[in-house]
Amino acid sequence: MARPALMLLAALLGVTATVTPALAQYRIGMSAAIAAVLVTITLGILLRAAIVLVYTDRIRHPLPLLGLANPPRRLPGGAVVSTFDLLTVAVAATLFVGLFAFLRLSPLGIQMRAAGEKPLLAAQRGINFQLLFALSWALAGFAGALAGILYANNVRLDPSLGVLGLKAFAVALVGGLDSLGGVIPGALIVAAVEVLSVRYGDPLLADVSPFLCLLAMLPVRPWGLFGTREELERV
Amino acid sequence: MIPDLELENLEVVYHHVATAIQGVSLRVPPGAIVALLGTNGAGKTTTLRAISGFLGADDAQIVGGRVLFQGATVTGRPPHELARRGLVLVPERDKVFETLTVQENLRALVPGARVDHDAPRPPVTLEQVFHYFPALAGRRRQLAGYLSGGERQMLALATALLCRPRVLLVDELSLGLAPRVIESLMALVARLRDELGLAVLLVEQNAGAALAVASYGYVMEHGRIVYDGTVERLLAHEDVREFYLGMGRRAGRRSYTEVKQYQRRRRWF
Repeated sequence: MARPALMLLAALLGVTATVTPALAQYRIGMSAAIAAVLVTITLGILLRAAIVLVYTDRIRHPLPLLGLANPPRRLPGGAVVSTFDLLTVAVAATLFVGLFAFLRLSPLGIQMRAAGEKPLLAAQRGINFQLLFALSWALAGFAGALAGILYANNVRLDPSLGVLGLKAFAVALVGGLDSLGGVIPGALIVAAVEVLSVRYGDPLLADVSPFLCLLAMLPVRPWGLFGTREELERV
Repeated sequence: MIPDLELENLEVVYHHVATAIQGVSLRVPPGAIVALLGTNGAGKTTTLRAISGFLGADDAQIVGGRVLFQGATVTGRPPHELARRGLVLVPERDKVFETLTVQENLRALVPGARVDHDAPRPPVTLEQVFHYFPALAGRRRQLAGYLSGGERQMLALATALLCRPRVLLVDELSLGLAPRVIESLMALVARLRDELGLAVLLVEQNAGAALAVASYGYVMEHGRIVYDGTVERLLAHEDVREFYLGMGRRAGRRSYTEVKQYQRRRRWF
């Protein structure tokens, strides 16, 4: 297939991956959050199969194709990181600050948090919570796409990248599912354990270390470091 | 005069089989406080939910009748649309967002249009809200989950006011509150009616508190309206006095047979 056609197909897949759960959430409404989770997982499996069918499951490196370079940079302390590593940190920080400000300060963000807590009461206050649920899916899709683009350019691109999401889920659970601020310490802990286990243990431990963190955390604080106790009922 | 809110023979069925309310008709004229009295399970809350469009969440359906809001049929419209039109509910439970601060609770809403097609609606400001509920002003930054029962009720009323209601539907304002708090909240509802020109449908088990501020009342039993009239008429009715206000000639200690007859009598109210 010609390159423009492939790019169009990729864009189409991306839009499907974002819009379908959003629409599903809009239709399902508040009745079943678990249904939305299942929709996401199912869609993930289907899209992965579609990607393998169209692109094969070969590992690719998109940077040369895009004509970009990823030169190493020396940090003040002497550590060497790639340009895309720095870019990833900068984008993540910007996204986090933006999201935090949006949810804490903007009327729409406050409405979104309200709808997340009590959809029925939100509706009674004139909030179209189904629309807000769809918007939150779209935001999640946007953040996921951004993360995917940065990772693919920095490391590799292959259809099994979705597994990375599980690591992110471990981070969210360690930080506390309902705590936006808990994401940062959660991510730092999981990353530190991963790096240290590679340095002082076996490099193969890297892939399982987030789940080891999770296993260590669950018996002690099942609601996460900064989560709310009651949130457990909703998981 | 067109009533602000009118129910015509409303009938609601749960899970396709269980009839909860049947042939319920009532009118709330502009600027009036109307009380809807009834015991547990009489169908009061179901009636309110049917009006405010909550039924989808409970697997309940309106199978007959109409809800008219300022002359227009609004039966089964989604709750957010009804709230924006000015039909605002203060629910019985789950009335504030507990993970949000008081200030954020007061912002977590979409107010209706400033002006209706015919009647101008009172634009309520934050300052006005803190003027009506001074207790909330000092707790702006506190999480609503830490408020007391009375303060939650105030916050719920305050947020409802910011939605710019024409008709306020209040479900069990007195639930779990001390008599003095109930008295002051009821007085506040009457004041809001006077100053903002609201119509209020007050659903209560505490008949004494409701009839103290209402001008008209309906009594509901087993999903039907069994009696209605002006407050004077209700207060003069022997059964209302006996069953809802605990007054009347049979009040006081009763034998077992008297209680049995009492229950039978009430069923045929």
